[in-house]
Amino acid sequence: MKSQGAGAAAPRTGNQRKSAGRAAGYWSEVWRRYRKSRLGVLALLMVVFLGLVAAGAPFIAGTRPIACRYQGNWYFPCLYYYNQRWENPVLIREGFRRSPYPQRLREKDPRSIAIWPLFYADPYRRVEEGEWPGRPRDTGPSPPRLRNPFGTDDLGRDVLARMVHGTSIALLVGFVAMGIAALIGLVVGGLAGYFGGWVDVVLSRLIELVMAVPPIILILALIAILERPTIWHTMAVIGCTRWESIARYARGEFLRLKETEFITAARALGASAPRIMFRHMLPNALAPVVVALTFGIAGAILIESGLSFLGLGGDPSAPSWGRILNEGFPSLGGDSPQWWLILFPGLGIFTAVLVYNLVGDTFQEASDPRLRGSSR
Amino acid sequence: MSGSGDAGGRATASGTVTARGEILLEVRDLHVHFFTESGAVRAVDGVTFQVERGRTLGLVGESGCGKSVTALSILGLVPRPGRIVGGSVKLEGRDLLALGEREMRGVRGSRIAMIFQEPMTSLNPVYAVGSQISEAIRAHRRVSKGEARDRAIDLLRRVKIPVPERRAREYPHQMSGGMRQRVMIAMALAASPSLLIADEPTTALDVTIQAQIMDLLQELQAELGMSILLITHNLALVAEVADDIAVMYASKIVEQGPAREVFTSPLHPYTHGLLHSIPRPGMSRKEKLRVIPGAVPNPLAFPSGCKFHPRCPAREGLCESSEPELLEARPGRAAACHLVRDGVGPLKETP
Repeated sequence: MKSQGAGAAAPRTGNQRKSAGRAAGYWSEVWRRYRKSRLGVLALLMVVFLGLVAAGAPFIAGTRPIACRYQGNWYFPCLYYYNQRWENPVLIREGFRRSPYPQRLREKDPRSIAIWPLFYADPYRRVEEGEWPGRPRDTGPSPPRLRNPFGTDDLGRDVLARMVHGTSIALLVGFVAMGIAALIGLVVGGLAGYFGGWVDVVLSRLIELVMAVPPIILILALIAILERPTIWHTMAVIGCTRWESIARYARGEFLRLKETEFITAARALGASAPRIMFRHMLPNALAPVVVALTFGIAGAILIESGLSFLGLGGDPSAPSWGRILNEGFPSLGGDSPQWWLILFPGLGIFTAVLVYNLVGDTFQEASDPRLRGSSR
Repeated sequence: MSGSGDAGGRATASGTVTARGEILLEVRDLHVHFFTESGAVRAVDGVTFQVERGRTLGLVGESGCGKSVTALSILGLVPRPGRIVGGSVKLEGRDLLALGEREMRGVRGSRIAMIFQEPMTSLNPVYAVGSQISEAIRAHRRVSKGEARDRAIDLLRRVKIPVPERRAREYPHQMSGGMRQRVMIAMALAASPSLLIADEPTTALDVTIQAQIMDLLQELQAELGMSILLITHNLALVAEVADDIAVMYASKIVEQGPAREVFTSPLHPYTHGLLHSIPRPGMSRKEKLRVIPGAVPNPLAFPSGCKFHPRCPAREGLCESSEPELLEARPGRAAACHLVRDGVGPLKETP
């Protein structure tokens, strides 16, 4: 272990808190080992890239300016893509919803300035003739071409724009679903492991029950009951059915930790049960749970894509990757297969699932206590 | 601690009056059973002893004789499937076994603290040691985080950790075993307990560090006036630091008394055997180290009568049928042996 020579010289007051973070803890040790795997780092970069694409989708593809100066004021019409209500009421009053921005801006305020996204294309509609100077009407379906790098679908909508905007759906499903799953899994697994006895018996049977039900069937059944399923229902259902591996890891960790001397020591020093569970055991139980969580995110993305592919993913206009696949699927048997509607979203799903699994794998190896201290 | 009662009579050693000092902790007739599938294991089977204020009691015995379980029962932390089935544990006259979990938490750490054998594993690996000590402080006192941190550094200085400001920010895995045991001691001292239970505190450390840690404990004891219950299988260690000694064999205390006296004139054949099995400097190479024949009995099937009788060189008929009680043999000395007569044990030869 590296000694913290620099930290030692720091003055005692004020600086103390800051330098405390510099001492090499468990997580920095895990990170040190994680970095050694080139594939793992690459996958992590890809995860970050996907996250940036998801968060910045309107900056990459859209038909609304990222920012525009209109009649002396600055507006950010791209916020519309995050939430329709975030579009400035002034712009709505000025009729920007009826005709597209480039045209309207030119007509109403010739001196206006606008900063446009990388691609002028909309995930929800096709681009019309004359909307953008010199750009013809987007027809569909069309294979990839210069102005539609990933092609267009039946309705002439740009596949790249749809995929970029669909990234946030895929990731959101992964994170929200696994957030719910982590909460349930940690509570169930933690209680089972901590208390043992009949609590463990009951909760373990519950875990096995959830494990035994094929999730896709359960999800189909639950979605069938709902009148108007949305993407949030899908997330909730995945979260409520895919927590069993997290619970099993958490249970194992709590069982192991319960017997460790530092937990007995904490008890002997008068710590209460919740304090022992949350402050002493939980941080020590986290590493395997994070691994299960990463795999779970990949799994949730896959399930959501599958559901959307089957046409059960909620809002049909939402540009989910699975739905794009679904739109291209019928053409596959015909004379002119729309391969771009299969290839690009397929690659998107494949990449997302792969990189999350790779990150999980690498993290598992890096955090494995059996390898702790070995200089791999 | 001491056996007590009238100086001359054979009163039971569980009498409460002592000649010397104020009793801090009194364990009386403690029974702890572990309910396993193969039956109830009597891990602690009627243990009685006292710890006087400001003194050190050495609780000695082989592995598995019930020392650690006794210590954990004092704190009410017997692990499952163990349960305290009888007896009392009184701290300053208050019965700890009658306390609820909440009240017991108030006792743990603040009145009685404990340090463990493995300093490697008794600190939480994910927190810096300073914050672990601060936490122990804040568990019992309402102080601000800053105050707790300052006090933690103070405690680290007290247990003689150099550059405590810097060490407080380090994690357990960055420290040596001796260093970690010092940190454990600092944590234990956080709320100035009146009793420190040290369960094999130096077993995992090398000999020079052992001596340093024991010196530190004695120094702190003198400074803070706390009592120490030192649990160990290391007779040499007890000889050096304990004021009183209690020898445990097969879940029971077989002999107790002032350390010096027990060492010079053991009453119980088991104590006698233990003392003779220590190698001494000056022993000739041909001289064989004496051992106690046989093995520690299985707690699921203790022998009838005196639990030591199958291994005892001095056993008589009575030993096989009736279990001896811990009785006062002479002032301040008690032994659980039928053969102790007129304050003298059956095996005369002194080590």
